[in-house]
Amino acid sequence: MPTRNIPVIETLRLVLRGPEPQDYPDFKATFSSYRSRFMGGPLNAYEAWMLYAAEIGHWNIRGFGMWMIHDKATDETYGMAGGWQPAKWPEREIAWIIWPGKGGHGYALEATHAVRRYFYEQRGWDGAVSYIDPKNLDSIRLAERLGAKKDKEAPTIDGNDAVYRHPAPHELDGTQLAHGIEMEISHYADPLFKPKGWAID
Amino acid sequence: MTLPGIPTIETDRLILRAPALADLDAYAGFLASQRATPADDPLTRHTAWLGMCADLGHWNMRGYGFWMTEEKSSGATAGMTGFFHPEGWPGAELGWTLFNGFEGRGFAIEAARRAREFAYADLGWKRLISVIAPDNARSIALAEKLGATHERDWTSPTGDKVRIYRHPDAGRL
Repeated sequence: MPTRNIPVIETLRLVLRGPEPQDYPDFKATFSSYRSRFMGGPLNAYEAWMLYAAEIGHWNIRGFGMWMIHDKATDETYGMAGGWQPAKWPEREIAWIIWPGKGGHGYALEATHAVRRYFYEQRGWDGAVSYIDPKNLDSIRLAERLGAKKDKEAPTIDGNDAVYRHPAPHELDGTQLAHGIEMEISHYADPLFKPKGWAID
Repeated sequence: MTLPGIPTIETDRLILRAPALADLDAYAGFLASQRATPADDPLTRHTAWLGMCADLGHWNMRGYGFWMTEEKSSGATAGMTGFFHPEGWPGAELGWTLFNGFEGRGFAIEAARRAREFAYADLGWKRLISVIAPDNARSIALAEKLGATHERDWTSPTGDKVRIYRHPDAGRL
């Protein structure tokens, strides 16, 4: 049964599509691994299956959700990125996860930048946050590369997470911040110059 | 965002239809009574919310899943009936639940009979089980009324010690 009605987003190297049943083994592999420790894992097979089903159902309930990140050329999956807001989330979250071994290529940056732009430009979002475990340094670094800033005043999910607030749409409209993100992405896609810093995801 | 392919089926008094966000209050209220927490307990609501998402996604993953059982006369969401088969489950299960205030009127068996008929006639299945907690006397009685028999005990992936009831095969109904 195809996951219809979920928009497809293309970027330089990636195509983002709704989560399909045939992608489940890739999801399960990550969520049964230590990689998922900041996302409620590791999970057993039953828990991983139920969470994956919920990822699909989230689209129906909220009208938005998480996309599966595919390589445009090979269709291989690299992870997921999108919007996430279960019942107890104080605000709409922009979230991402990259499979173990697929980090370090800027895929999360490229995918998350694209989904954020989609939510801002196509869906009228005026902002979003990311809830990140304070020990999840790779994700905190990615949030900062995306221009998000720690918001100490914002309500958290359960007190154990840090809230990173994404720049508002106007802060990404032709600004130096937006150009910097796009330059970093383009350097991954065409590595004439290596990006500076220690990008992980 | 509509899910493709969730059929609506009916009995005399009930409609079995796709779950929707409007069912969340009834669903969360039921879960709260199961766990003895207040209906507006945030964690219970969160769990109910994710549970509803998973119920919807189940249809995409398997092509079948749980319906909401709606009472025709009132339009109220009376419970849930349908099929459950996540990874780690011993087969496709026929399940039924009634929300608070809808017990005792034969709705569960009416919906379960219809769902089983759908499984055998429309989905072409041959066999069906129900997974029931050993202290759930009402469900056990209902399974037995449906002709199901206690096949074996099983520990679910959530760690619950439960019974597997085997329904009569398709050819025997």
